[in-house]
Amino acid sequence: MTLQPKPPRSRLDPEPMPRRDWLGLSGLWSMGGALLFGMFGMLKLPKAAVLASPSKKFKVTLPETLAAGEAFVPSGRSVAVFRDAEGVHAISTICTHLGCVVKPGAEGFECPCHGSRFHHDGSVSRGPAPRALPWLKVSVSGGILTVDEGTTVPSGTKVA
Amino acid sequence: MKKNKYLLLASSLAVLVLLAGAAIQESFLKEWRRIQAQGRSDEGPIPVQLRQIVNTSLGVSDRCVSCHVSMGPGEQSVRGNPILVAHKPVVHDPAEFGCTVCHGGQGQATEKADAHGDVHFWPEPMLPKNASYAGCGRCHASLNVPGREQLASAQQAFERLDCLTCHRVDGRGGTVRPGGGGMEGPDLSRTGLKGYDSAWHEKHVQKSAAAPEGPWKVSFSPVSTTDQALLKTYLDTRIAAPQLVAAKSVFFSHGCLGCHKVSGVGGDDGPDLSRAGEKDPGQVSFKEVPGQPTMQNWMAEHFRAPASVVVGSQMPPANLSQQEIDQLTLFTLSLRRKELREIYLPKDRLRAVKFNEREFSSDGATLFGAFCAGCHGEDGQGRRLPGLVSFPSIANPDFLASVSDDFLAHTVQNGRPGRKMPGWLKDGGLRAEEIKAVVAHVRTLGNTSQQPDTRPARWITASAAQGKSIFESICSGCHGPQGKGGQGPALNNKVLLESATDSYLVETISRGRRGTAMASFLEPSPVRPALTRSDIEAVVAYLRSLLGGKS
Amino acid sequence: MNPASFHKDALREFVDNLKTVPRRVYETAFRGGPPTTDRTRSTFVFGNVFLHLHAVRTHRWSLRWTTTVGLGIMSVSAFLITLVTGVMLMFYYKPFPEAAYGSIKDIHFVVPTGRLIRNIHRWAANIMVVAVILHMARAFYTAAYRRPREYNWLIGLGLLVVTLGLSFTGYLLPWDQLAYWAITIGANIAQSPREITDALGITQYFDPGGLQRLLLLGSDTVGAEALIRFYLLHVMILPLALAALMGVHFWRIRKDGGMVRPADADERLNRVRNEETYPVFTEAPAKTYHLAAIVRGKTSVVGRGPENTVPSMPHLFYAELGVMMLTLLVCVALALVSDAPLKELANPSVPENPAKAPWYFLGLQEMVSFSAFMGGIGIPSIVLLGLGLIPYLDRETEGTGEWFGGPGGWRLVRFSMVIGFCTPILIESFAIRFGWLREWFPKIPQLIITCVNPATILTTVYALFSIWCIRRYQSARAGALGLFTCFLCGFLVLTVIGTYFRGPNWVFYLSPSDWPKH
Repeated sequence: MTLQPKPPRSRLDPEPMPRRDWLGLSGLWSMGGALLFGMFGMLKLPKAAVLASPSKKFKVTLPETLAAGEAFVPSGRSVAVFRDAEGVHAISTICTHLGCVVKPGAEGFECPCHGSRFHHDGSVSRGPAPRALPWLKVSVSGGILTVDEGTTVPSGTKVA
Repeated sequence: MKKNKYLLLASSLAVLVLLAGAAIQESFLKEWRRIQAQGRSDEGPIPVQLRQIVNTSLGVSDRCVSCHVSMGPGEQSVRGNPILVAHKPVVHDPAEFGCTVCHGGQGQATEKADAHGDVHFWPEPMLPKNASYAGCGRCHASLNVPGREQLASAQQAFERLDCLTCHRVDGRGGTVRPGGGGMEGPDLSRTGLKGYDSAWHEKHVQKSAAAPEGPWKVSFSPVSTTDQALLKTYLDTRIAAPQLVAAKSVFFSHGCLGCHKVSGVGGDDGPDLSRAGEKDPGQVSFKEVPGQPTMQNWMAEHFRAPASVVVGSQMPPANLSQQEIDQLTLFTLSLRRKELREIYLPKDRLRAVKFNEREFSSDGATLFGAFCAGCHGEDGQGRRLPGLVSFPSIANPDFLASVSDDFLAHTVQNGRPGRKMPGWLKDGGLRAEEIKAVVAHVRTLGNTSQQPDTRPARWITASAAQGKSIFESICSGCHGPQGKGGQGPALNNKVLLESATDSYLVETISRGRRGTAMASFLEPSPVRPALTRSDIEAVVAYLRSLLGGKS
Repeated sequence: MNPASFHKDALREFVDNLKTVPRRVYETAFRGGPPTTDRTRSTFVFGNVFLHLHAVRTHRWSLRWTTTVGLGIMSVSAFLITLVTGVMLMFYYKPFPEAAYGSIKDIHFVVPTGRLIRNIHRWAANIMVVAVILHMARAFYTAAYRRPREYNWLIGLGLLVVTLGLSFTGYLLPWDQLAYWAITIGANIAQSPREITDALGITQYFDPGGLQRLLLLGSDTVGAEALIRFYLLHVMILPLALAALMGVHFWRIRKDGGMVRPADADERLNRVRNEETYPVFTEAPAKTYHLAAIVRGKTSVVGRGPENTVPSMPHLFYAELGVMMLTLLVCVALALVSDAPLKELANPSVPENPAKAPWYFLGLQEMVSFSAFMGGIGIPSIVLLGLGLIPYLDRETEGTGEWFGGPGGWRLVRFSMVIGFCTPILIESFAIRFGWLREWFPKIPQLIITCVNPATILTTVYALFSIWCIRRYQSARAGALGLFTCFLCGFLVLTVIGTYFRGPNWVFYLSPSDWPKH
């Protein structure tokens, strides 16, 4: 028994269908919800929870012969440490322009990438750098110097 | 077609629920989150986040500080839960070195069972607290340590001379200067690593002489040269890990190296122990081991009854005290090794790598204890072990009286092929001067020097044929036909016959060996007639012919 | 016209257009409007690049759960899940020895959602292998490979091989003991043609085995070179091959007239009441399709009707989405209860004992324990060849589209299952109890063992049984039913033996708890 009892319809006629298909719609929406929830969960993945770089805090042993105004750069770190009569201070050697490593010299610091120049205290003397090189937190306990690359202090802060 | 819609709805909702559950579990229910939530620093609550110590030179990324927060860099002040507290002050600051370098465990893990390594497929669980000094062995693999007796007498000297009055060592002794100014004398806990002024004695003497009064005058008096040598031994072994040093000295007193190699030195009868501390608990059987299935318990039980823990083990039970078992366990656990970059290479290992220095003292007593005592006994009186041919007594005065130093040295160097005694120069890894020291020590054990012998090595001219009949009627009962050995040792041994002089063989037969079945053959006995000198010479001639027949 | 007013009008128009942008974007993206009528539903399907792989209308026979059991969609869904989770894992995975192991540990312990995603990846990969094998069995038992679907059956075989390859290459990537030793064995199976060339003494002139191994490992040992090759295969070459083959497979399904169904499907369906079907083509076509001039045979369904079809949108899509979400549900649920394995760091000096391949290769590994070449390459090639030949040898029509259709039917399949299960159990029991040729004749030439071993005997018994089936029922289909069932059962038996009854040194143990520790 095919569908003879009903009058044949043209394929051009709209098919009568329930206006509200609650079951189908809730199925679709819950699927969308589940997939979206899963997707947003997955989007957390690329944001690393821990970084593979060493701690920002590290110990420094200054050479005995370090003269006042002469920079000491611990190996593997982008920090210049100075010692003078007033005490010890550390200046970041990462250019405030675009992150190249500046070189400490007799005139202050100079950046090889775009020609920024900085005074001895880190303030900008010329070039595109927008800000002075930040001073970093230095602490002394039990004769051991610790530099914290992650914490900046106001320029001029020296630790005895 | 409704069932498809139901399927879609039900599956989707279930997925949503499961994912939500997973999200809650990960974002709120992790153990380290709960612990960190209790943490307070001077500035208030600490941020709850995964923390880790990274040291790329050591290859360390330890997330232990996700729970043990205060051990991380710059977080000493965090408190609020006993798990959070800081490490007690140590030279190897965990904030720099990480945790797993010393303690073992799985630094990458963030859950307790995984991190402490008590899980399948992590071969290196954390060292138990009472064996934590074993962790030093990972880097300090080549500490130079004397035998137990030598260490003990050095320690006694240090205490007898009252050095502890002024100096502090391993947390003991030392006095605080009245009126401030620190301790009277410097802390000597790490002299073995940092070194010390070798002219200390002269300086002490000068200061003492110059001081009008006070501790310099009262507490110091000149030290004899013998005691100075003992103090040197003591100071050289101070590396702030006294338990490990003591354990290692015990290892060097039971002749373990007679059968086992460590760092290329030792015998070949047992397995190489150079990395025995890295044994994977997942790969051994704990069937016969009481208590927790830890490597510590396994090793302790193994020292108690080797064959019951390792099926088919030949290792003789050594009748050890509980303390010795604990010490040997500690030392075996310390036999682990990490490849290190140059800047982190400790001095002891540097000395071993660059200057070929030993990790045992090269005095005869220590060497004898480490290499010979296992078979020949700690006093050199020989040992009888079940299932093995008995090991000869080498402290026997009859033996020492007839044997030359060259013969002893030759025997130690080349061993006895076919018997347990290996050639110590080539196979055992000892050096010629060390063998000389051992020979000198063997002399002191029997307290007998060789009786002067001016004759050449080969002087006997007697007939071997006559000797053959005497040997077969009298000697072969113990030494076997053609000297192949029976109850008594084999005599057709190539190295024996090559290195033994005629005088030695004649003397041995004439004097016998006191304390063994070998009696003096110049004397008659109920079962055989006495031999004459010429008979004995004939026997020796026959023995010589055994070698000729063989080669 | 005043230039100013023109300017103003254009501006207003611009603003108005700007306002209607969101609506226009929607309209241009979904051109047909909401899919509420037959016509808009059709536009919805063929106006969408992904959906138009489907026909606009789907036969109701195809929508019955028993027709396909959703296995094809399950395979695709599992593939999509592995694809997405795999790409996520690539953010952290480092394809270098030791670093690889560390990165998997990181994914497990510190990467946000990393552990769950790795577990889902692993489970989806396993489910994909199962689904693909079952999907092939479904296609076989419903005789879906017959004209005009012969070629799609071949594509399907290709998909099976690539799926197994994907799963196996993923096995090495964690660089743990399990991975390292499974790959070592796999690489040596690739080298096993040497078993023949060595026996013939021609290895130094003609060494296909050595070449295969070298190509696979890029070196003579499993090391960094092998790892990067397996990584490349796993994340690039094989997925691309799979996607390309999948595209052809789907397109072919549509071109071959959708799911297979029995000739009398319409009559059988119409015994069921259904209101959603109705004749689609009720009117006589106004004109015939002159396109037919370039087409041989019958053209499309013009003028034929009534039909038992329903619009694919939404009926087919609900079914597909339902199966997809079910697959995802199974993956997530399994991922939450069971972690993907990660053993100790690979140690080239300490072989894993027993070193077991992934479970779907344990049947092969069981055969390999007698002859590396026959078990690892010879018999698998014969099986693949046989599977590929089936549609070209079986040209019958009886039973198409019916489960276990054809001469013999379910009774034959049942009997074949008895043969299929008993033969390998008997042969294995014999070989385990009494040993094999080498134990009896220590000097026997390798070539004889290569030819006469439990695996080849098993294959021979199956082949003889299949010939008996052809004679008994006078039908190639009956032979195929017998042979396919036998091989499926043999695969199961050998896999179970390899998984549960083989311990260290590949010794037979009744239970894993009897394994000795050393």
